[in-house]
Amino acid sequence: MLSLNFPSLRRFKNFEFILGILLVGGIAAAILLSGWLFPGGGSDINLAMRLLPPMAESAYPLGTDPLGRDLLARVVIGGEISLKVGVYSALGAVMIGIVMGLVSGYYGGIIDMLVMRFADVQLALPFILLAITFIAVIGGGLTNMIILLIISQWVQYARLVRGSVLSLKDREFILSAQAIGVRDVRILFQHLLPNLIGPVIVLMTLNVANNILLESSLTFLGLGVDPSVPSWGGMLAEGRTYLQTAWWVSVFPGLAILLTVLGLNLLGDWLRDTLDPTGRTSL
Amino acid sequence: MKNKRALAKALAAASALSVSAVSQAGSLTVATPQDPGSWDPIDTFLVNWASLATNVFDGLTYRGPDLELVPGLATRWEELDDGTRLRFELREGVTFHNGEPFDAEAVKFTFERLLGEEGAKGPQRSNYTAIESVEVIDDHTVDFHLSEPDPVLLTKLAGYGAMIVPPGYIQEHGDEHFNSNPVGTGPFKIVDYRPREDVRLEAFAEHWGGAPKLDSVTYRFISEPSTAVAELQSGRVDIVIPPTIPIGMIDTINNHDGIRVVSVPSPTVEAIRFNTQSGITADEKVRQAMIMAVDRQAIIDSILAGEGKVIASFQSAQSFGHDPELEPYPHDPERARQLLDEAGVEPGANVQIDVRGNDATFGEVAQVVAAYLQGVGINASIQPYETNVLLNDIIPAGRTGEMFQQKWGGWTFDYDNTAYLMYHTGERWNPYDSDEELDRMLNAQRGITDRAEREAMLQEIARYTQERALEMPLYSLNALYGVSDRVQGFEPAPDNRLRLTDVSVSE
Repeated sequence: MLSLNFPSLRRFKNFEFILGILLVGGIAAAILLSGWLFPGGGSDINLAMRLLPPMAESAYPLGTDPLGRDLLARVVIGGEISLKVGVYSALGAVMIGIVMGLVSGYYGGIIDMLVMRFADVQLALPFILLAITFIAVIGGGLTNMIILLIISQWVQYARLVRGSVLSLKDREFILSAQAIGVRDVRILFQHLLPNLIGPVIVLMTLNVANNILLESSLTFLGLGVDPSVPSWGGMLAEGRTYLQTAWWVSVFPGLAILLTVLGLNLLGDWLRDTLDPTGRTSL
Repeated sequence: MKNKRALAKALAAASALSVSAVSQAGSLTVATPQDPGSWDPIDTFLVNWASLATNVFDGLTYRGPDLELVPGLATRWEELDDGTRLRFELREGVTFHNGEPFDAEAVKFTFERLLGEEGAKGPQRSNYTAIESVEVIDDHTVDFHLSEPDPVLLTKLAGYGAMIVPPGYIQEHGDEHFNSNPVGTGPFKIVDYRPREDVRLEAFAEHWGGAPKLDSVTYRFISEPSTAVAELQSGRVDIVIPPTIPIGMIDTINNHDGIRVVSVPSPTVEAIRFNTQSGITADEKVRQAMIMAVDRQAIIDSILAGEGKVIASFQSAQSFGHDPELEPYPHDPERARQLLDEAGVEPGANVQIDVRGNDATFGEVAQVVAAYLQGVGINASIQPYETNVLLNDIIPAGRTGEMFQQKWGGWTFDYDNTAYLMYHTGERWNPYDSDEELDRMLNAQRGITDRAEREAMLQEIARYTQERALEMPLYSLNALYGVSDRVQGFEPAPDNRLRLTDVSVSE
């Protein structure tokens, strides 16, 4: 039933895939083990130890931040927030986007028009404007930031899914399912969904990376989470003013973002090639 | 075609000539963080309006970097009728940049505009409502009739809404035109304003105080501190005015050849204020305990690199109403724990501190404060807001957490200007508290014309707010200027209103 077209296993030797999985896997493992690696949580403020350069003290291999906290611990622990935001918001947006896209594409008519016009309005709003308004009205924090990202991104999935549904719904297998009286829900989720999930998964990997960057920019603008909870974007912003005197404060979290996003993009690329052997056209 | 090209060449040569003539006497470039959008004095309360506009406009009085009030467009003044009438003798032979003469009619026009319909649209009018009417006695004498004595009025006449504007020019061109093509009597005139990019000023040689030493000044709007500092390092900017340079960049500038940081104590103070209505901070003892829990000197020494001073009440040491006798609460975590215990606060109680999200330095300060509070058993979380949201929505509506950041400029250097707005019932910055005794004192001091008596009353108010622990006073900040070594005669202005008359540049 799944019309996934896996090419030969040689693909697994693909450089993109190996590097991607190493980066993402390694970072995810470090974050998962962070509680065990850094029991102090990197939150102990020590003003006497502020802005130590990397390797200056063996206890602080990456140096310390402006409040004398261990930078290594904070970079690793900070990944948790960034990844949480990235993954949860992408998952949420995928779920809403798929349902809206399926319904809109399959039923057409007034429903389609309503959903798509709503999506157009949504796309017309600049993200930062939406973010500032949302956070002003609802408030900041981790959960709200995830909700905000879901609100601003489900549209991409909805449009992608709707497009695929439009091209699939007149195909024979759907027509025959309709002819033998299969219920709509079953057609939507068992016949249509598996045939269009490929590009959606690819979009999602790219979206996770994008969300990590958005979390960073929101926190950077001061719209994000409590600054005493480490997150990559927040650390980047903190270190900005020290760039010329204490580069390590922002360079290491920046590097962490770079490597994670790179890893996710490599995986996404690989997935795209794997799921869409006919060419690099659909995204 | 050929003729045209020849003409263009000749023009280019001519303009090159005039450019070199200009640079001989010197031109200066200043980085300022914000474009106020309108240059009309009645439209704004932004310090970055004042830091430029103090070069373009004059008031009846003038206050320079030494903070002494001296004659401006008025050569002398006297208080009559128990302080309800002020008579000003105006300077003669002064003209506006457009050639219009300055006289009593211009003063009358300025204040009628400020207090009338046009002024009602802007934020400046409320500072000057003590003025009931302006009466022209003769061409160079005016009387201000006041509804009640206003002890700070003479200071307020030195800045912002009280800047004298040309009646003929405004009537001819309209307010809209004036916003972007302002005309004043100041030492420089605006010749070119490109919104969000820069403003070019040229010396006004006929200024009554003598021609400025510089020929021209360009103010560039650079909001990002690292960009402003990079421009200073590369020599494309000569002065970076506050509030731009973050504490963390002082070393960056001082380590670089040919530029330095010049700092001066400013009226800007910061505090973490309390929600005195609900939560554990409604209890006076808890508030006192929280203040004692935080070592503010340590914060200044480390995070502020010493560029600040611990304050006992919400005003700086130069403020009128400052009491050198008033000691700040000591740093005493033992006593703090004891007070919390007496108040029945369980260890692990939660409070929230609302801060401005884009204020990097305060973000660090807030985290250290939270760590100190943690030390006495209070869990403080920090909630960043977009600055405008915090100032226009969260604080005035009383929607803050238990504590919130308050930064205050106080350019009048008079505690009244701060205390009234912070503590009087129903004021915008006082969403939680209402104290009859405090209201009484705040109203009473406004009617006192005797300076010493009023100062005593203001000090009494400061002591009262400290006893009630209405806020956690943190520190007064220094104003930080980034200055290139080619700038001569630079004197930092504590209130950011940097007049460039005596500044020159060496090549």
